[in-house]
Amino acid sequence: MLMRLMRREELRDLAERVSRVLGRDIQLGARNIIRQRRRSAIGFIAVTAGVVAMLLAAGFFEWNYDIMREGTIRARIGHIQVVRPGYLEAGAADPFRYIIPEKTEDRALIEAFPGVDGVAPRLNMSGLISVGESTVSFLGEGVDPVREKKLSGAVRMLEGTDLSTIDAKEVTLGEGLARSLELKVGSSAVLLVSTASGGVNAVEVTVVGIFSTITKAYDDFALRMPLKTAQTLLRVNGVHSWLVLLDKTSATESMVERMREKIQAKDIVLVPWYETAAADFYNKTVSLFSKQVLVVNFMIALIIILSISSTMMSNVRERLGEIGTCMALGDSRRTVLRRFLVEGAVLGFFGGVAGTIIGIALAQLISRVGIPMPPPPGMASSYIAGIKVTPGIAFNALLLAVLTAFIAGILPAWKACRMPIADALRHAR
Amino acid sequence: MAIVVLEHVTKEYRLGDHMVRALDDVTLSIESGVFLAIAGPSGSGKSTLLNVIGCIDTPSSGRVVVAGHDISGQTPDQLASLRARTIGFIFQTFNLFPVLTAAENVEYPLLQMDELDREDRRERVQAMLELVQLGKFAKHRPNQLSGGQRQRVAIARALVTRPAIVLADEPTANLDHKTGEGILALMRDINRRYKTTFIFSTHDKKVIDAADRLIGVEDGSVRILGVRKEGQWAITNVARRPATHAETATP
Repeated sequence: MLMRLMRREELRDLAERVSRVLGRDIQLGARNIIRQRRRSAIGFIAVTAGVVAMLLAAGFFEWNYDIMREGTIRARIGHIQVVRPGYLEAGAADPFRYIIPEKTEDRALIEAFPGVDGVAPRLNMSGLISVGESTVSFLGEGVDPVREKKLSGAVRMLEGTDLSTIDAKEVTLGEGLARSLELKVGSSAVLLVSTASGGVNAVEVTVVGIFSTITKAYDDFALRMPLKTAQTLLRVNGVHSWLVLLDKTSATESMVERMREKIQAKDIVLVPWYETAAADFYNKTVSLFSKQVLVVNFMIALIIILSISSTMMSNVRERLGEIGTCMALGDSRRTVLRRFLVEGAVLGFFGGVAGTIIGIALAQLISRVGIPMPPPPGMASSYIAGIKVTPGIAFNALLLAVLTAFIAGILPAWKACRMPIADALRHAR
Repeated sequence: MAIVVLEHVTKEYRLGDHMVRALDDVTLSIESGVFLAIAGPSGSGKSTLLNVIGCIDTPSSGRVVVAGHDISGQTPDQLASLRARTIGFIFQTFNLFPVLTAAENVEYPLLQMDELDREDRRERVQAMLELVQLGKFAKHRPNQLSGGQRQRVAIARALVTRPAIVLADEPTANLDHKTGEGILALMRDINRRYKTTFIFSTHDKKVIDAADRLIGVEDGSVRILGVRKEGQWAITNVARRPATHAETATP
């Protein structure tokens, strides 16, 4: 007990000493930076510009990740898919083995979860679509037009309208599919599918709308129809999945865990969006571009280091007299070293804070104006990008600014503290 | 009692291609409590002598003992600690920290004394500022003070650690006569009151006249030793190659 008390005492003592020493170092550093305004400005501007560049680059990528992620989730896969185990892996080969009921108590339970924006059933199919002489394959989705409204925020109607009622004999087509069949709003087409019992069924439908999503590969084959129409066509009663849409994408992981605890049925599973095949493209893009951001940050760090170290070098040269005085008055080399390192870090912090503020303001301005982007590979159309600076990005940039400024100070600080005192004092004015 | 002892101290350094001998076999001892002037033309080695005594330069050979500490073989950190606690410095160019106020400048050397808390430091600083008659200028920055006031702040800073020795390198050279005399009188007064040893370099006759001990340096060697008694200098001329004993102690 006594030992522990002693230790705590010592710890507090140490903390007090560290804060006293560092407090004075920071105060001195800040005052010196402010006093030497003109010279500090060079380092300050370098850090500020570096941080701004870092924020804009990372924020630009972040915005794109965001759009891509939300687009995929909201147009196609939802945040959480409730399906039979194995459906996502093997469902395409034998879709009728994985039918789940359209409505159960579990679904009501999930819908009642706070943070759940809606649950929409989906019945997937593949088949052929014929217009006159031409026939092509399609990937169809039976959807509930009312519930789907929320989920399809990222489905953009190019022409016509969305599906009207749950049993209307109508379809909307992906842009690419419509183009390949030269279908317009108002024309009719015949859908041909194999049914649950192994037979073939067909239905004539009217095209009411043409849509696009962010994924071109999807738009080239996609077709949407009302759920009841799809069920009649396939001769099934259930659906393949319930797509759960949440308020916040970031809550997905915790929501999945909480839902899994509550779900009664043993033969359904909850699959979060990031584990689905559709998210694979997103995940790979993020990891690819994150590496590029890393390279950008590395180059920015290098520029900061170079300019701060030259600032600190001339700082040391001009303050030789002061360094000599410090050491004559009994400051150890370590103290002089530490003081210049802290001064560099303080300069980095000042520049970093200014850069963060300017960066965030610029990001908002640029987002308001918009960055026109060409259609990216695998996506359907061009778009207007923005810049999204998250707290994480801002924190990283600030940290990088302080760290690099600190590192940049090492060599000048080392030179300062190795100076022979008598020589240093000769430079006093 | 001798507070500084130098035995056969030689200091050489390289200047371009030449080796310069700034101190040439200097042997002397300095009593505690004296008010000592080291005089000599520029380049005579008086600054080097002062630096060696102040432990900010180490001799090429010879032995230096300051306040009982033999400084040969000490690490830079040990010397820094010795300077912090034993020696006060006053500079020709004042060398105050421009970003600190007068009070903060005076407090500066106390920051490395862990045994003093904030209150102790504040009291000492205030007392020192009063001593140099700058109590009202505590919050002023050096650039708001006159030359004389700056040197007073420097004196307060040198004395605040209660050092055994105060070293002053041409303390009045950057001041006009009247101000210089005031500074000298202040140092003399502190020397008498607190028995602090003052060692200062100068080439000013008036400053030498304020001293009670004199060392004349020329070409890196001690040439003159002087002791003043009842206003009269007793001067000893030292041979070009002085004997092993050249003391400034009372005859």
